[in-house]
Amino acid sequence: MGSVKQTRRLLKWVGNSLLVVMLVWTLTPFYWMVATSLKKDKEIYGFEATLIPRQPNLDAYRKLFAQTPFVLYLRNSTVIAVSTTVASLVFGCLGAYALARLRFRGRALIARGLIFTYLVPQSLLFIPLFAVMATLALTDTLKGLTLAYLGFTLPFCTWLLLGYFRSVPLELEEAALVDGCSRLGALVRIILPMSLPALAVVAFFSFTQAWNEFLYANVFVNSVDARTITTGLTLFVVEDVFFWGPMMAAACLATVPPVAVYLVFQRWVVKGLTLGAVKG
Amino acid sequence: MALRANSTDVYRGGVLVEAPALPKGPKASLTLRREARLAYTILTPTLLVILFVVAYPFCTAIYMSMQDKMVGAPGRFVGLSNYAELFRDEVFLRTAWNSVVYTVVAVALKFLIGLTMALILDQERRFNNFFRTLLFLPWAVPVVIVSLNWRWIYDDLSGFLNNFLITFHITHDIISWLSDPRLAMGCVIAVVVWAGTPFYAMSFLAGLQSIAKELYEAAEIDGASILQQFAYITVPRLKTIFITTVMLSTIWTATNLQFVLILTKGGPASRTEIFPHLAYQTALGARRLGMGAAVTLVFFPVLVVFIIFLTRRMLRERED
Repeated sequence: MGSVKQTRRLLKWVGNSLLVVMLVWTLTPFYWMVATSLKKDKEIYGFEATLIPRQPNLDAYRKLFAQTPFVLYLRNSTVIAVSTTVASLVFGCLGAYALARLRFRGRALIARGLIFTYLVPQSLLFIPLFAVMATLALTDTLKGLTLAYLGFTLPFCTWLLLGYFRSVPLELEEAALVDGCSRLGALVRIILPMSLPALAVVAFFSFTQAWNEFLYANVFVNSVDARTITTGLTLFVVEDVFFWGPMMAAACLATVPPVAVYLVFQRWVVKGLTLGAVKG
Repeated sequence: MALRANSTDVYRGGVLVEAPALPKGPKASLTLRREARLAYTILTPTLLVILFVVAYPFCTAIYMSMQDKMVGAPGRFVGLSNYAELFRDEVFLRTAWNSVVYTVVAVALKFLIGLTMALILDQERRFNNFFRTLLFLPWAVPVVIVSLNWRWIYDDLSGFLNNFLITFHITHDIISWLSDPRLAMGCVIAVVVWAGTPFYAMSFLAGLQSIAKELYEAAEIDGASILQQFAYITVPRLKTIFITTVMLSTIWTATNLQFVLILTKGGPASRTEIFPHLAYQTALGARRLGMGAAVTLVFFPVLVVFIIFLTRRMLRERED
């Protein structure tokens, strides 16, 4: 017994030290990103480069808004992320309700197909999908990108909601149906109010996935008008070699929405985890 | 999920459905038909998206890989010659080896560090929630931004790493992190690990916190050492989470090309070239869509094993 207590005390000490190491490892890149965005050019480059910004200022941010299409990128990303989220929620709820509560041929097959679809990686689909998008004149459009994103958000959202809807007691719904409520009425009045945590996970998942997506956005969009923040950022490297200041400023700003959403939804996200709500 | 005594539950093909009791007699088939019609109607958007954005492209990929199609031009059918060319290509063979090293090392490190992180966060400590939030932050950052930021950290002349090492007199010469053939792969993997560890830690921590504390107390009274407690209580209970997490992460790690694309573009001398990035370069850099599709299809069979296994697993977990 005594030795177990001793070991536990030792482990506590080891744990605290490792915690410090991990915090340093995790936070240093964040520090460098923020520090760079606050420096003047001469503190950023060459042998005079400093580890800490000596004269912190917002020049990089000013340059970002004045000289680059950053605001346009931000707008495009917001439009796409919000429409993907709304569409995933609406279609996901409808599809999940059908799969959870209605009897029809092919139900089991569709449920299985959802997971399979979700697990097929984007890097496998982008080449033929590019050809499809080009044929339908959907390249360089926001609606084309939104549609492509629904290809991975919708199957997962439907799958997650399906599991949740099934855990809602059937009796409540039966009562509503007996009282003359329609099927969809029962979905909206009975099931949805009881599924708020699942809806939160779905909204969180769709928003962050759409906001962070890069591959499709990079391949299907060539014009500035439909470019999103993730692909826009990478162009700063090509446009001007000495552009790390504004680029890190843009990186900081573009990180804010997903991090904010994460901080708000933290509680629910963990529950959606084992189902694959989080990519890593 | 509680099963009802007079249930009309249908258990077919591994998916359990609970439905309100059916009316008896001739009305039953009418109700059923109406139900099916409603089901197909409200499933239409989802099915269309899957068909249009996933199923159809997936099928055309197979056909495309047998054509010499270029971007913006129709292709000719060339049979299996794209594949034949690939297997004679030295870069392709190196890519195969790199992909295995990249995936296995990254997944193993993420697993070990993630488990350590979860165990630490499971200890009792003040402000633990705050530390947890901080340690999980990298996961919320878009991968593109992670990669760009690390490329800047690795920068030869002005990056944080060289800057730091020289300021504190740890080295005197500049180290070319991403262009040194011996270092490049390690540096890329470090970034993958930095970004991916929180996912493991989150899953494992959720698992650890669901284990009843009484189990440990009982084991302690029986004289089990900490190591024994870990081996006989913690590990068996986390086994399912271990497997699911590793498999999901293997698929995502092996197919993510953003890290390589932004950090090294596969260089120096193809040292960090991996399958998804090779496919990207072939299809969009060299504009050979047919060949690019062939590259993706070569690595797909390995993934499909994982995907099928996971699909079954996720269906089974749902039914328990």
